[in-house]
Amino acid sequence: MATLTKKDIGGFLARQGILLAFALFMIGFTLANGRFLDPDNVMGVIRSSAILGVMALGVTFVVISGNLDLSVGSMMSFSTIVVLDLHDKLGPALAIPAMFAMTLALGAFIGFLVGYLRLNSLIVTLGMLSAIHGLTLTWSGGKNMDIADKAGTWFDVFGRGEVLGIPVPILMFLLLAVTLGTALAKTPFGRKIYAVGGNGTAATFSGIPRARVVFSCYLVSAFCVATAGLLQASRSMGSQNTVGQGLELEVLAAVILGGASLMGGSGTIFKTVIGVLILGFIQNGLLLVGLPFYVQYVVTWVIIILAVWLDIAAKRGRLWSPIA
Amino acid sequence: MTGTFGEENLMRLRTVLAASAASIALSAAAQADGYRIGITQNNVGVDSYQTTYEQAFIAAAEADDGIEAVVLDAGGDVARQIAQIEDLIQQEVDAIIIWPTNGEAVIPAVRKAKKAGIPVIVTNSNIAEQGFDFIASFSGPNNITQGARAAEIMCDKFKDMGIAGEAQVVHITGQPGYTTAIERAKGFEDRLPEICPDVTVLDTQPGDWNREKAQTVMEAFLTKYDDIDGVYAGDDNMGVGALNAARAAGRDGIVFVGATNFAVGYEAMERGDYWGSIYQSPVDDAEAALQTAIDVLDGKDVPLLNYFDTPKITQDNMGDFTKPVF
Repeated sequence: MATLTKKDIGGFLARQGILLAFALFMIGFTLANGRFLDPDNVMGVIRSSAILGVMALGVTFVVISGNLDLSVGSMMSFSTIVVLDLHDKLGPALAIPAMFAMTLALGAFIGFLVGYLRLNSLIVTLGMLSAIHGLTLTWSGGKNMDIADKAGTWFDVFGRGEVLGIPVPILMFLLLAVTLGTALAKTPFGRKIYAVGGNGTAATFSGIPRARVVFSCYLVSAFCVATAGLLQASRSMGSQNTVGQGLELEVLAAVILGGASLMGGSGTIFKTVIGVLILGFIQNGLLLVGLPFYVQYVVTWVIIILAVWLDIAAKRGRLWSPIA
Repeated sequence: MTGTFGEENLMRLRTVLAASAASIALSAAAQADGYRIGITQNNVGVDSYQTTYEQAFIAAAEADDGIEAVVLDAGGDVARQIAQIEDLIQQEVDAIIIWPTNGEAVIPAVRKAKKAGIPVIVTNSNIAEQGFDFIASFSGPNNITQGARAAEIMCDKFKDMGIAGEAQVVHITGQPGYTTAIERAKGFEDRLPEICPDVTVLDTQPGDWNREKAQTVMEAFLTKYDDIDGVYAGDDNMGVGALNAARAAGRDGIVFVGATNFAVGYEAMERGDYWGSIYQSPVDDAEAALQTAIDVLDGKDVPLLNYFDTPKITQDNMGDFTKPVF
């Protein structure tokens, strides 16, 4: 008979502290409002989180490789506006691949600057945040973009459709999470990313082409952003130019909440998904509890800090640990 | 976070000269007492309203031979706007029109303009009250009236439906801390109990002027409350987001009322999904600002708060209004 020793439990906690934190919040919100765990509500929250989530998957790759991507919010606005505009000009079947190609080109450009010119990713993507916003505004002329004939197109299937009762955004989020999670954990490509982010010099001496790995991570990120833009455009069938504004920080928060290190070399797709869900359920839970919204900003921060603390404390095996 | 967007707008300086060959001969008199009017806008291009406003302003200035306009845009950046006001003072324009990026931070620059003897007209969104001494006039919509009118639209509809004695409403506001958002919310919440005392406001949460955010907020409201009869959103963009959430959840029969009628709101009204809004035209807004500046320079008696009218629009009277271009 297998018995759980104290060590086993400790080991589990150390690996999955963030899961424990997640479970605690879910219990707390459920006690505060019984409807929190309604299947409709849970489904709704995951569907709303799917857009942020898809972006966070890509940024996880970039962060593990030891870099940052602050451009994902404005890049998502770009993808959304472009696909909506092209929808009416070319039809959805051409608009979608065209938008993906353009977004991937932006990702390739960033990957080139960071990977091959070895520029600081913070500066490059902070600059791109502004530049891509400008590109979006130039494209749209500052006007909101709306699909003219909303009833006569199948384009809404990505954002509003359902398969076997499960919303398509959730399915796409899951599919991407499983695919990218497997790529990261089980393939040589994934191991190279950890190596590059963990110890670049050692990676070079092991014959890993660092520039190409970093470049690929930005391509993955751009692909995820394009998918998020598609979901966003299809969900609302129209958009403001600023739809993704500020999302870069929420995405980064989800990734860090999931335990990825900003120094690179650590993090998993599974934990990023948990980070995304924590953010989504906090927002929804606070709305259901009905706190005044000025208070919500503060409470959101408190919960995030608590989650990070629980995660770190579980890893260290103690709550109190001053800088020595 | 969102900091200094709009670097592409780097000091867009457009001088609009009304100088067609035909007008030169005719306008000798007009040139003699012609006015140079400078405008520094908030953030052209960030939304369709501001884009349309700029186009309408330039068109109105070009149409008047006596006006030379210096059109600037702050790109949402307070520091840049202050620098632009100082530039306009240096250029000794006759009047300065400001669409404030921040109602408080621009006050010192406005004061400087007044000291230099240049009248300042604030457009669209007012500056904070402690700056009122330094401005010649505010030209723009009355957002408290807009909120009150939205309450009237909703109350009238409830009375028609015979549910004015029991209806329950949720309220989605604009960005917390923004004057427009605060004033519209105040107008709505003060007026509604006066005319429909038995209608309950169940909940108020911000949608940040963002359709996606409003949709998420509405989803939570729909989970939390089984019986919602009306939604008031601080603008149509958010109203349509809330409408999308209600339709996805299969909740019919909700009365949606917004403000700043957008094209998406107008279309939803055509389809019968969305009940009403407040019609606010960026063209009227721009023309009113220019006219206010001209009136001030002509020495006319201009009220400090010079509002242009923003009428009610519902499915019943929407035929009287053209579809908004933004």
